[in-house]
Amino acid sequence: MTQNSRQAASDNWETQLRKGWLELAILANLWEEKLYGLDIIRRLQTQSDLLLAEGTIYPILSRLKRDGLVDSNWVESQSGHPRKYYWLTVAGRRRAVAMARYASEFLSRIDPLIAPMLQKEKP
Amino acid sequence: MNQPERLQAKIDAYLGQLRVSLGELPPDEVNEILQEIRGHILERSQANGELTDEKLVSILNALGSPDQIGPLYQGDAILARARSSFSPRVVMRGIHRWGTTSILGFVLFVLGVVGYALGGSLFLAGLFKLVSPSQIGAWVGPHTVFDIGAHTDPAARDVLGWWLVPIGLFGGAGIFVATTRALRWTLRFAKSQRPTRP
Repeated sequence: MTQNSRQAASDNWETQLRKGWLELAILANLWEEKLYGLDIIRRLQTQSDLLLAEGTIYPILSRLKRDGLVDSNWVESQSGHPRKYYWLTVAGRRRAVAMARYASEFLSRIDPLIAPMLQKEKP
Repeated sequence: MNQPERLQAKIDAYLGQLRVSLGELPPDEVNEILQEIRGHILERSQANGELTDEKLVSILNALGSPDQIGPLYQGDAILARARSSFSPRVVMRGIHRWGTTSILGFVLFVLGVVGYALGGSLFLAGLFKLVSPSQIGAWVGPHTVFDIGAHTDPAARDVLGWWLVPIGLFGGAGIFVATTRALRWTLRFAKSQRPTRP
C-alpha cells in the first residue's frame, strides 16, 4: 500500500465517522430554536470539528427536509438577502431523541473498550 | 472591470458551476439551492470588513468546490425520487446510485437489469408474434430445450402457438411492473430500516 493510498484510507474512515455524527449534531442544534444554514455552521465550528467543507451542510439539510425531519421557510433579513430558516418537525424531534439515545449508549459501551488503548498511548 | 464587479463575477462563476453540477434536479429546487448558497457567500462577505479577492477565495474554499457539493444534493434527490416513482428509468437510476455505495445496491441493480430484460423480451416476443407468427414462438425440439424468440432450429416446434401473444404481452408487462415495484419496495424498505445511529 502506498503512502498516498494509506492516507486516503485514513481520511475515508474519518470522513465517514464525521458524516455519521454530523446529522445528529445538526438535529441537536435545531432542538431549541429555528436556525438558518450559516447559523448552524457557526455553531458546529465552535462546538466541534465535525464540519470540514461548510457547503456540505446544505445538502444534509435538504435531505432532512425531504425526509420530513425538518421544515423551512424564507425570512427577510437586515443583511439584505433572505435567509432560509430550519426547524425540527415532530418526526425530526423523535429521530433526534432516538439518535441521541443510541449515541449515548454506544459511547458508554465502547468507552471501556477503547480506554485501555488510550491509556497505553500516554507517555 | 472594477473590484466589486470582479468579485461579483467570481461569485456568479462559482454559482454557475454549482448549477451545472446540480445536473437534473428540478429547476425550482436548483434556484432555491443557489439562493441559499448565494446568501451564505454574501453573509460571509459582509463579515469582518471590506471584501477583497483573498477573502472571497477563502470564503469559497471554505464552502467547498461546486463539484464536491453538487453531487451531494443529487445523490439524495435521485434516491428520493426513485422511492416514489413508477418510472423504471427513475427507479433504476436510484438503484444505480445506491449500487455505487453498497453491495446490496449493486446486486439489486443487476437483478433489476435481469428483470427488465426478461419482461421486455417476453413482451416483444408477444408483440412480434402478431407480426411474424411463423418465425416467432416458444420452441422445443431435439436441439432446443425451450426457447422463446425467433425460429432457428428447423426441427423445433412451437409449443405455445398464438398463446404466446397474451402470455408475452401480459406476462412481459407483469414482470416489468413487478420488477419496478420490487425495486421500489426494496428502496423504501432499506430507507425505513435506516438505523437511528449517527
